[in-house]
Amino acid sequence: MNPVSNSTRAAAWLFLAPALALLGVFTLWPMLRALGWSFTAADLLALDSARGVGGANYSDLLTDPRFRRAFLNTAWFAVMVVPVQAALAFFLALWVNRPERYWRWLRTVFFVPVVVSMPVLAVLWTMLYQPARGDQMGLLNALATGLGLSAQDWLQNPRLALPAIAFMSVWQGVGFQMMIFLAGLQNLSPEQLEAAKIDGAHAGQRLRHVIVPAMRPSIVFVLTATLILSFRLFVQPYLMTRGGPEDATVSIIQVIYEMTFLGRELGMASAGAMLFLLLVAALTLLQRFFAREVRS
Amino acid sequence: MKRGLGWLVSAAVAIGFLLPLLWMLHASFRPEHAIFEGGFGELLTWQGLSLDNYAAAWRRAALGIGLLNSFLQVAGILALGLLFNSMAAFAFARLVFRGPRLLFGLVLVLIILPVEVLVVPLLLTVRDLGLTGGHGRTLAALILPFAVKAFNIFFLRQHFLALPRDLEEAAVVDGARAFRIYWSVALPAVKPALATVVVLDMLTHWSDFIWPLVVCTREETRTVQIALANLFTEPPIQWGHILACAVIITLPVLLVFRLAQRHIVASDLAAGIK
Amino acid sequence: MREIAAAFNAAHAGHGVEVHLTFFPDHQYTEKVTIAAAARDLPDVLALDGPTVAQFVHADLLRPIAGWFSAEELADFAPAIRAQGEVDGVLYALGAFDSAMVLYYDRDLLAAAGVEPPGDYEGWTWDEFLAACGQLKATGFDPVALHMDLTGDEWYTYAFSPVIWSAGGRLIDEETHQVDGVLNSPLNAATLRRWQEVFARDYADRAPVDPDPFGSGRTAMDWSGHWMARAHLDKKGDRLGAMPLPAMNHAPAAACGSWCWGLTQDARDPDAAALWLRWVVDPVQGILPIVSANGAVPARASAYALFPDYDETPFRLFRHLQETAARPRPRTPFYPTLTQHVAAALRDIARGADPGERLDRAATQVQQLVNRQRGAL
Repeated sequence: MNPVSNSTRAAAWLFLAPALALLGVFTLWPMLRALGWSFTAADLLALDSARGVGGANYSDLLTDPRFRRAFLNTAWFAVMVVPVQAALAFFLALWVNRPERYWRWLRTVFFVPVVVSMPVLAVLWTMLYQPARGDQMGLLNALATGLGLSAQDWLQNPRLALPAIAFMSVWQGVGFQMMIFLAGLQNLSPEQLEAAKIDGAHAGQRLRHVIVPAMRPSIVFVLTATLILSFRLFVQPYLMTRGGPEDATVSIIQVIYEMTFLGRELGMASAGAMLFLLLVAALTLLQRFFAREVRS
Repeated sequence: MKRGLGWLVSAAVAIGFLLPLLWMLHASFRPEHAIFEGGFGELLTWQGLSLDNYAAAWRRAALGIGLLNSFLQVAGILALGLLFNSMAAFAFARLVFRGPRLLFGLVLVLIILPVEVLVVPLLLTVRDLGLTGGHGRTLAALILPFAVKAFNIFFLRQHFLALPRDLEEAAVVDGARAFRIYWSVALPAVKPALATVVVLDMLTHWSDFIWPLVVCTREETRTVQIALANLFTEPPIQWGHILACAVIITLPVLLVFRLAQRHIVASDLAAGIK
Repeated sequence: MREIAAAFNAAHAGHGVEVHLTFFPDHQYTEKVTIAAAARDLPDVLALDGPTVAQFVHADLLRPIAGWFSAEELADFAPAIRAQGEVDGVLYALGAFDSAMVLYYDRDLLAAAGVEPPGDYEGWTWDEFLAACGQLKATGFDPVALHMDLTGDEWYTYAFSPVIWSAGGRLIDEETHQVDGVLNSPLNAATLRRWQEVFARDYADRAPVDPDPFGSGRTAMDWSGHWMARAHLDKKGDRLGAMPLPAMNHAPAAACGSWCWGLTQDARDPDAAALWLRWVVDPVQGILPIVSANGAVPARASAYALFPDYDETPFRLFRHLQETAARPRPRTPFYPTLTQHVAAALRDIARGADPGERLDRAATQVQQLVNRQRGAL
């Protein structure tokens, strides 16, 4: 075992310095300041006159109807997106996991919406969801009426708006999850699959007893990663519905943004950011827990 | 026969899945009043197609400058990121001792930090550092906070760790030696991982929305996503222009994706994730 | 605007003063100004929407500007313009023009439906308005365009507050900043229930696709303002008519308030900046070009001489409304949050939400913010 020399130490620090400096200045330091502000009633434009309010921001937030609504909306969004997207991605991966060239080509096709930027897709789908006025309507209503269903005001209906956004989000991200599952599938040992086939298990049983357990790490990862990503919802409702109708699509991040730049309440917004961070941290810990459980 | 059927099915699924994007492309060439005309016959018309929307979108959204800003932002993040992230990853992989090990734990923790939480305190920090206002300064504000990413460091470290030890047996003697080993031996050996990181970062940052929304206060500093958002919300709302703008700003990512497809080795990514 | 700037630069070339225009995106302008203020990247002279002046004064962003104008010049400005820029008696902003909102109509379409427009400068009551819409619809026309497709919040507060005011209601108590009980008063709920009728009976489109249905001939009437005056004149010519917005049973109120210019505290050379400020509200240099382009109401009495066609419809109605019934939106530092929630409430009520409940929710939200920040006032 080599004793660590001083020049090694120096080298290490030199290598780390730029990254640590940037992380420190642009990530750690702002978070610490936000933590500090979350205990004050700071005005965004008058930081010097901030006065301490203890935990009042936190309690105000947790009882604020709009913040609670935002949390419910975001949670509901996650509930709609995560299982649907993961299940769809899993079955797509199973489906396209074949050697022929056109299946590989199809994989790329599924991945395209992942690559296209979310603001572009948000704008596009607003147009696709355009309500019907006479003979003018968006593509989705054209499809619906073509199939004999009635046209809807998708984004203007408080009950349909968030599911509509969820549908679009599932479509956007399913390709990425599919790729992860594909990689997992391709790492499966062929012997296990062969053994199962020889044992006489049909496709459904093979799926349940061989494939799914072997894929557990990927499944755990996809579920938790998508969960965390879902809570970071901002662009779609901000562009597509501005949080309406009737606050049906307002997200946690949007509330924080509005508190900062419309209400100028930096203290409240910082408390909101801290709460959000706690939420994400909790979800991440959950992921680590399940991943470790899988490994053992 | 079966192959033919397979081709048919996959083509049908592909078209169905990409229908929104295909519509976007087609409608972007159509005159304003025709865009929302219902019925499927419309989807196949070749009449009345023109580039008018594109010319107007380019002008109204100032896409020349927007594309430049987005490009500079991404290039800056990639360039600085490649260097700093890999250096840190190398240090954590090969030059470790107790101190950095603890730091690495901190870095791991920072992976979970979403940008949305950071936006407000970061704006004020960036302001305090004088990085607001002018074109160059706004670009710096777009680049510097995101060049170094905890995930990239973690990911690259995994790859450095996987390199055979004998490459650097004589390694870790002094600073200059370490740098040469890093530069001439380790880096080239992890090229696929670097390529993956580059592509992922490019795709991520081209789509950045909330941070540029806040930081690009002046018209000439806007990135393409903000330009699109403005076109989408400022009256008069011309759907044709919006579609054309959307297509224009999507082309670069599609190009990069096409060129770099082989570098996104899915199994590699999955391994990195575990 | 760029031409005015060019003229300014040309005129001041020898004096070492130059103006650079920076355009903030119009969408969510208040947010953007707040962000820029937080980033300490505000220009020396700032264009502000009238109702937001109070907020920026409260945030200590603006300087008093009365000192750069003579008493006669100040008297030349319309009282509404001065009131818009004044907070606690100190003048912080002046505009080159004021806005006006009217109900445009197509004479031919109304005649075809047998609807008689009211006399000169007179408007309908709300019931008369609904009746007219009914007749138009029965004849097969789309009655009125209310532009519910606009994404910015301010349109809703601006366009429909007069309805609330014309019934005797208010959005907020400007003295005590009280919202709960004021915004969601039973009177306002009743008013908005009658307003909701326009959508419930399908007289106006809740989610229009066309930004200018009146100009394109689809609707017979247009709930709009000065910015469409010239475009509508071009399209309709003599067929264009304009009347004040329909009023509930109390005194009619006309919308007003628009962009004005203020000097920021950060301005490094306030005297130089003031030169631009004076230029842009000058009758010949500033008001003439702007108002020729946007058809608004000139801010200064002396400027009317420059606009001979302001004796015509619809401009004479704009002037009349501004002089007789103009009512500015509430002047309060909480305006951004107030307008955000009022606009959201109006949108939802248009779609069928119960006005009482929706106003209650909006009022509670704003009141909570007011309560939190009242201590800092």
